[in-house]
Amino acid sequence: MIDNRPVYLNLIKIRLPVAGMVSLAHRGTGILLFLALPFAVYLLDLSLESQQAFETVQQILQQPILIVVQFLLLWSLAHHFFAGIRFLLIDAEIGVDKSPARTGAWLVFLAGAMTSFVIVLGIAL
Amino acid sequence: MSLYVLEGLRPWVIQRVSAVYMVLFTAYAVFSFFSAESIAHESWKNWLYSPFNTTVVGIFVIALLFHTWIGMRDVVLDYIHNIMLRIFILAMLLGVLIGSGLWVFRILLLSVVG
Repeated sequence: MIDNRPVYLNLIKIRLPVAGMVSLAHRGTGILLFLALPFAVYLLDLSLESQQAFETVQQILQQPILIVVQFLLLWSLAHHFFAGIRFLLIDAEIGVDKSPARTGAWLVFLAGAMTSFVIVLGIAL
Repeated sequence: MSLYVLEGLRPWVIQRVSAVYMVLFTAYAVFSFFSAESIAHESWKNWLYSPFNTTVVGIFVIALLFHTWIGMRDVVLDYIHNIMLRIFILAMLLGVLIGSGLWVFRILLLSVVG
């Protein structure tokens, strides 16, 4: 089948509503978390191997570049977590209407950012 | 059997059941972290290798692998339209997930073996 419908998809000109942003970020963060999975398993293995290996893991995680990566993954996990709960609530027909759906979407972004911020603060102090 | 094994309502249900389990597990993991007396190799190992924790972590890993497979599969099906490339990426995906899963189960079962 040849589809000749005109397509105009200038991604820069598409303005997503906040609920769409949550959904897109849920997808993006899910991909990031998948990519991190093998490395997480490697670190899990290393952390259990011996006292020395456990300390190696601590040293690896303190690398400046990896701290940035960890923060990104921490936010990804938090956002994916809260956005997922929002989707579960919507499945249970809670927050389906436009106004609560928008509020929920803002809350997801806020909760994701706050959680990762608080955890970073907790580690730093 | 379909090419992607899971069809219809089933992946939708698996995605949600695994999500709920992982939310509950996260709450338990956070609780365990804050009630731990120390963050050290010995206490970490003792925590993970207690029979209860090995079990709930094992179930968590199964939930995580199914959740990741369905989620990533949906992403691939949405954006990769070339059928050969699609099959190739899905095969790679399955390889990474099964490999990671076996690796974690090796780690979890080491406590039982020795």
